[in-house]
Amino acid sequence: MQIHPRAREYPDSQFSRPIRDESELTAGVKIEPGKSYGFFTDTTRCIGCKACEVACKEWNALPADSVGLTGMSYDNTGGLSASTWRHVAFIEKIGHGGGRATEMAPYQSNWLMMSDVCKHCHNAPCLEACPTGALFKTEFDTVVVQQDVCNGCGYCVPACPFGVIDVNLDDGKAHKCTLCYDRLKGGFEPACAKSCPTDSIQFGELAELHRRAAERVQELHRLGVESAYLYGTPGAPGATGGLEYLNAFFLLTDAPEVYNLPRAPTRASNRVMPSLLSGLATMAGFAVAAVALFAGASRNGR
Amino acid sequence: MADNIQTYYDHPQLKPAPFSWIVALYVYLAGLSGSSQMVATIADLFGGGRLRSLVRRGRYLSLVGTVIGPVLLIMDLHTPQRFYNMLRIFKATSPMSIGSYILSVFSVFSALTGGAQFIFDRAIRGPWRWIARIAQVPAAGAGGGMSVYTASLLASTSTPLWAASPGWMAVRFGSSSVASAGAALALGERWSGGRGYGRKLDALAVAALSVELYAAHLSQRDYQTKGVWGDREAAVWDSIDALGGYLPLALYTAGFFLGRRGRTLSEAASLATLVGGLAMRLAMQYAGQASASDPRTSLRFAQPENLPRAQS
Ligand code: SF4
Ligand code: SF4
Repeated sequence: MQIHPRAREYPDSQFSRPIRDESELTAGVKIEPGKSYGFFTDTTRCIGCKACEVACKEWNALPADSVGLTGMSYDNTGGLSASTWRHVAFIEKIGHGGGRATEMAPYQSNWLMMSDVCKHCHNAPCLEACPTGALFKTEFDTVVVQQDVCNGCGYCVPACPFGVIDVNLDDGKAHKCTLCYDRLKGGFEPACAKSCPTDSIQFGELAELHRRAAERVQELHRLGVESAYLYGTPGAPGATGGLEYLNAFFLLTDAPEVYNLPRAPTRASNRVMPSLLSGLATMAGFAVAAVALFAGASRNGR
Repeated sequence: MADNIQTYYDHPQLKPAPFSWIVALYVYLAGLSGSSQMVATIADLFGGGRLRSLVRRGRYLSLVGTVIGPVLLIMDLHTPQRFYNMLRIFKATSPMSIGSYILSVFSVFSALTGGAQFIFDRAIRGPWRWIARIAQVPAAGAGGGMSVYTASLLASTSTPLWAASPGWMAVRFGSSSVASAGAALALGERWSGGRGYGRKLDALAVAALSVELYAAHLSQRDYQTKGVWGDREAAVWDSIDALGGYLPLALYTAGFFLGRRGRTLSEAASLATLVGGLAMRLAMQYAGQASASDPRTSLRFAQPENLPRAQS
């Protein structure tokens, strides 16, 4: 990446105050309300350092959880939760299935790592399910829970097709990645993207990220990684069933299921009208039956 | 169907709904009291004034949902003191929001109907009977909603079992609610030595149970084709069908053929219907949560062939 000309204005290594529009220097994008922002997580660049996990916990002051070993490779986090908003998955492909590896496929295809996060779905099922309006679309086109509105009904939890959002039983509210809503307002790129040493996590305007991602897929295909594809871009796996697209999308090299991602998730609100209408039709039918039954009672006295 | 799906260390891919048994109990009582209101109102409007004691019992029964329902729902919130935020907005994409308003309307008008009935029963002068007759109409409409919106609530999630058969689950919930109301009112009729409309209510319950069994059969077909099915599920649904469907149907039939001597059997049938309705809601909730926690089920369900047409 090129050095932004404005960077020359900040030659010191310590700053007395925040840099205005810092994201321009760190991510090459100016953050302005009304535009669409997201993450492009390129799993082929991930080295599994978990800097994103740590940066997220630090910035968002999230409590530690599950201090212990899971037995799932180097993944002792397990998955996303109310207190873990970035999660690095480790998939060992060497000697998988008990066998011993005798040859290696090229380019990071032997050990997959992926930093998972809330997808900030375009048609977000969690948001559509939330009865209090606590979940909302921000001016940056991201999905955030307003902590002072959420009443912990928990309906967003089963609505999410990616198993992201969860209720914290200690404070009784739903929590998930905010795409660093507070940082975006201050002109900073999200903490995870800023801390990622390999740019596996890239923050930016969605259209620009889509362009970059398509280019990266082509580049990888050229390099012989035929299996590279995008997950969550329009028309791709993960953007199915009415979700349209995910503002936080991924470049993968194996089946979605391998990364614990659903191949064809759906928008839960698709099912509101079919179920409600068949239910009401059923009740109408029984109402007619009851009328016939009781009208008979009035005629013959029984 | 991709059967050899690889999982991520069998770690769950979805999070189960953080609902306790309280929600299943609410779903049951909402259906019971909602359908009771509907049956009572129809009995009042079309029964030619002969069904007054049945109408009274139906109205009182619907107070159960009115009084206990909101309490149960608030109890299951994780921040209960903010329950009123439910009425902060209305959202047509959220059955939880739609249901909050159905419950509100139902509660207000059922309380009005039941309250007026109570005062009328005490022979206090005033237009009480007419207040009840007018208020019961919106109460009955909302009661129909109370019987089925809970199915839409579960179906409009990503939980595989609930999402796999949205329409048939709603038919099932609705008919089970009507069957429960018929059963409860028949018991009231028989235990109070009423005028003998027990048979009519039994007939309503039999019709509702048959529809429920048929809808259960069709929803199970959906579960099978969409991969939300295994030996455990088969065992659960077979027992639910037997307990809440075939058993009461057999008892009703036997009670009917034995005539007056079959009264105990009819009562047993009513009780089995009531228990079966609650068991079905509990099974639906827990089996649903289990399906969400099982990555094999959820990843198999989220396959392109299960997408609604024109959306793949
Ligand atoms: S991934 Fe889940 S929590 Fe995130 S926006 Fe989509 S539905 Fe909501
Ligand atoms: S738990 Fe909070 S954020 Fe989730 S649906 Fe309920 S009110 Fe909305």
